[in-house]
Amino acid sequence: MSLEKRDEFDHHAWLKEKDLTAIERVFLTTLVVLDKRLRIVDYLELLEDAYYKINLQMPKSHTEQYDLDNKFWYWYPLYSLGFFSVLAYIVAAVSGALLGFYYAPSTASTAAGTPVAYASIKTIMQDIQFGFALRSIHRWSAQIMMAAVFLHMLRVYFTGSYKEPREVNWLLGIILISLSMVFGYTGYLLPWNQLAFWAGQIGVKMSLSVPIVGEWGAQMLFGGFSLGQPTIIRMYILHVFILPFVVTALIALHVGIVWVQGIAEPH
Amino acid sequence: MSDTDTTDDARTDGGEETADSESTNTRADGGPASETSGTSSELRSDGGETGIVAPDDEVPTWSERKERKAGLSRLTYEYFERSRREDQELRQESDYVERDVLGFPTWPHEIIRNGAISLFFVGMMILIAAALPPSLEMPANPSATPSIILPDWYLYWSFGLLKLNPLNPGLAVLDGGKIISDQLYGVLANIVVVGAVAFLPFLNKGSARRPVEQPFWAAIGVGGAVFSFTIAALAVQNLIPLPLSLQLNIVFIAPVVIGTMTYALLKTLREGYMYGLNRRYYMLRPPK
Repeated sequence: MSLEKRDEFDHHAWLKEKDLTAIERVFLTTLVVLDKRLRIVDYLELLEDAYYKINLQMPKSHTEQYDLDNKFWYWYPLYSLGFFSVLAYIVAAVSGALLGFYYAPSTASTAAGTPVAYASIKTIMQDIQFGFALRSIHRWSAQIMMAAVFLHMLRVYFTGSYKEPREVNWLLGIILISLSMVFGYTGYLLPWNQLAFWAGQIGVKMSLSVPIVGEWGAQMLFGGFSLGQPTIIRMYILHVFILPFVVTALIALHVGIVWVQGIAEPH
Repeated sequence: MSDTDTTDDARTDGGEETADSESTNTRADGGPASETSGTSSELRSDGGETGIVAPDDEVPTWSERKERKAGLSRLTYEYFERSRREDQELRQESDYVERDVLGFPTWPHEIIRNGAISLFFVGMMILIAAALPPSLEMPANPSATPSIILPDWYLYWSFGLLKLNPLNPGLAVLDGGKIISDQLYGVLANIVVVGAVAFLPFLNKGSARRPVEQPFWAAIGVGGAVFSFTIAALAVQNLIPLPLSLQLNIVFIAPVVIGTMTYALLKTLREGYMYGLNRRYYMLRPPK
């Protein structure tokens, strides 16, 4: 749907013909700019509506209005999965920020012969007050976020919510789910235990198998062709600095588009 | 109060006249003019009514009140009227079919509904975290390869795709040599799967929303979901007591079989389902 703007609604021409004072012109220009971007006119209508509404009443949802509840109520819990994965993401972010106070990304050996990173996790688990709870919450919220995201994707597929006006959000969702998995991967490499090390080995092998850019990619992501201090630092920076910014921004965009386009009808 | 009719005319012609402030201000205290004119002449000793009147067609709207003012607010009003009219005309020119409800609003419907469910889930999450704290395995040891190497569960499907190397074809012209390495084959399989999923909305368009309306696409979805499990089982092939060739067959045949069953089931349900839906639809929008 592409529509030509009509000349009579050329607000700039209208502004000129009005012959305004400087103050009026500045005011009106600001108003036009803001309204074009934020649709202030809609919010004024909302205010108007609220002002005159004496008996407040929840507007009916689509399913209530058309009496579809009896048929489709069972979809409803599934419609909260997206929101719920955002909540799990927030819980993981908060607990992760707190874990970051105690974690040290280093593979250097401690006196006990274990890597410093591993030892710091051990300290969190054993010595720090509620440290085990913090790590537990962080880990479980990450796991549950992944589960919620996958189920969210299934819900979107089986209710056809990815269709025509919403393609961009589906693509954004694919990017987000991939980045979430990278988030998880970089996260479970950090304790530098056996699982972390050998998962890292697989990552390096995968990267090296790609022709032309593979070696360059391995150097950039893993800091070389074998695992060590550069690897854990890269994973740490990815996990606590780069990915949080990128993923949070994309989530905001994803939710913003849902807000603008409306939730797809549950049938 | 005899000039009520002329006032109304002046108000509805787009607000070009501003000189009618005197006559309209008398009406701005709310309520239809014809009813209040009788009581306002009498002397009221009880303080009168609240002045709050349920909105009806006679009550001036917020923008109508705004219209009577001068200066910047007048300017604001004029601009908003213009942009409102612009929207209206664009809507009328558009070939887009307007429906009553295009989607139901995020606030308050979705947020309240989701909030209740989500608070429950956050509580549940913390409960699980308290009950099942994560273990800490042995520290990294490059010289001891563990017998089972597995990523977290949500990467099993990807790890399973990496183990598709038995399907990497050897070419006769290369004396059974492979054109791409087994590792690259796995990486490409990942890219193909993610790419196919990303391409979905460009293949399946239209307004059908529910599985019964499109049994084929529902079958594809169920098949895909089943494949994500069977391929994940391939990732843990050394834990499953089946020969590899049989397992590879299951990986690809099970999704097709279950997808076909889904298709058949939905085709069977379809008639009854669509009957009910059509009945509802035509009750709302009777055919002309």
